[in-house]
Amino acid sequence: MKRRDFLKLLGAGLVIPSLEFEAEAKNAPDLSHHEARYYEKLPDRRVRCLLCPRLCIVGDKERGYCGVRENQGGKYVSLVYGRPVTLAIDPIEKKPLFHFLPGRKAFSIATAGCNVNCKFCQNWEISQVRPEQVRFYKIPPGQTAQLAYKYAAPIIAYTYSEPIIFVEYMLDTASFATRLGIRNVIITGAHVRPKPWKDILAAMDGVKIDLKAFTEEFYRKIVRGNLKPVLDAIVMAAESGKWLEIVYLVIPGLNDNMKDIKRMSRWMVKNIGPDVPVHFSRFFPMYLLKNLPSTPVRTLERAREVAMGEGIKFVYVGNVPGHPAETTYCPKCKRALIKRVGYEIKEFNIKHGKCKFCGEKIPGVWS
Amino acid sequence: MKVYVVRIGGNFEAALGKAFREMCRGDKICLQNLFSSGVLSLKVNTLGGPKISTSPSLASSLAKVALSAGSGEVIIWDRSEWELKRAGYRIKRRGKIKVIATDSPRVGYWDRLFTYGEVGSLFSRIQVFADASISLAVLKDHDMAGVTLSMKNYYGAIHNPNKYHDDGCDPFIPQVFLTRPVSSRHTLSIIDATRAQFHRGPSYHSRWFAKPGVLILGRDPVAVDHFGWRLIEKLRARAGLPSLKEEGREPHWIFTAEKMGIGKTKYQVVEL
Repeated sequence: MKRRDFLKLLGAGLVIPSLEFEAEAKNAPDLSHHEARYYEKLPDRRVRCLLCPRLCIVGDKERGYCGVRENQGGKYVSLVYGRPVTLAIDPIEKKPLFHFLPGRKAFSIATAGCNVNCKFCQNWEISQVRPEQVRFYKIPPGQTAQLAYKYAAPIIAYTYSEPIIFVEYMLDTASFATRLGIRNVIITGAHVRPKPWKDILAAMDGVKIDLKAFTEEFYRKIVRGNLKPVLDAIVMAAESGKWLEIVYLVIPGLNDNMKDIKRMSRWMVKNIGPDVPVHFSRFFPMYLLKNLPSTPVRTLERAREVAMGEGIKFVYVGNVPGHPAETTYCPKCKRALIKRVGYEIKEFNIKHGKCKFCGEKIPGVWS
Repeated sequence: MKVYVVRIGGNFEAALGKAFREMCRGDKICLQNLFSSGVLSLKVNTLGGPKISTSPSLASSLAKVALSAGSGEVIIWDRSEWELKRAGYRIKRRGKIKVIATDSPRVGYWDRLFTYGEVGSLFSRIQVFADASISLAVLKDHDMAGVTLSMKNYYGAIHNPNKYHDDGCDPFIPQVFLTRPVSSRHTLSIIDATRAQFHRGPSYHSRWFAKPGVLILGRDPVAVDHFGWRLIEKLRARAGLPSLKEEGREPHWIFTAEKMGIGKTKYQVVEL
């Protein structure tokens, strides 16, 4: 990957100007052979992956759907353990996590691979490729956490592609990071089975889940996955007590039906409560959906109105820099608590987790 | 449509010569259409390692036949140099016959997504920039697709084959075949059935390995793959294994390919 592409891919993120990494960039033969967690051996050197709901049965020398977990003679291995393809420092608002240490920097990492194939993927150049097809770094978990520490990032974000598929690397890095006083957050589609998800939640401080639609049909046709396991994972995340936010990318003509958004909002209030922030993000033509227009801002505003009408307290409009709905408002006195423009915080009116004006408790992780 | 089944008696060159004489009957244009006067891609399958990959001497013999029939340059290739070497190929980056891989220096994938139906993939530059393409596959059972033959061999030309194994690879195998870099270049399907893995493929398992000792050739990829599938079923039956249908792995994609107009499952078999 060329440096220019790398920068483009990361958008507004600050790429670490690290000649030391450039020198260490490796090619295919240096993929890892770290034994995977969450699989069972089957007869004739086959294995069944137990990480995500696909339950891939993988023959010898073959890979799972994610493309980064390979059966090597009956042993299932992660090819991306300690092999990130991106290392960047982003504002936490970029994830987006709006109620989790606002204004702080997140050391953000990703490996190649993903266990779904969203036709609208914004990072397909890394998520929809095999690890040997992109330039990667060779950085073990301890060193990854040390780098975050070195760059004074209080958070490590597992993000960009689908962190579920590099679970081994993520969990080990998170363990080192915690010891260094660094928080961990995952940005995920949550297409995952309960056991690994429970282990991941235990290691995280914050969770952002992309709920891509509220119909099985959309998940089957556009995402190539299933909705049900994602909803189960959302409930588990809420019950875990870890900070949770939901993002819903609104795509014109595909998942912008207000009836579905209403059903989804009701489901959220009932199952995870009204305090979980929801972000309706604007779609831009990408990957296999270049034929569609960008989402009209009015559609996002309507979705926000519908969700708030159903009782969700913190609903944001995303990917529209400068929109008033980027701001956090107090649900009681309605005053602006955190004024944002893009990823920048212009005003912060929360003190000790409460509204500075009326004292209302504002859910989130503020310090 | 005809499927040619050539028993390998002596060397590969003689067997191929016999097949092409029968196929083209001295018609030079027929031969030119098969091999092109420009760059010919010979996509081999080396995933299964040394025991069950396209034979290097078959690929090399075919390349020589192609050059003598007027091809300007022949590229024998697969996904990675490592897999090619493991299967017994010698990397050769110069000359009229090259042996390289998508991961060879300055090759890689072309950075344009080609789409057809549900498929959206980057293609190896070798496939994109070749003038004609021959799929030189191996006769193998496949745990998900049922069988992996000449059409599925093009999964090795795309960057994301792991995304197209759901539902027995149906309709993905025909859809990959119908993307422009394949459909506009493919001229010939050949299955190296000198050896076969008739169960638990695509990797090698000695217990279910056979040596049918034939090459299967034809211009119709559906016909060639259909014949290859029937041969695998025969080998399975002989070994007392259930049919792929009984195992729930019947290769429906062959019939989907027929419905999509790629070829026919009714054909004449010419044994040589």
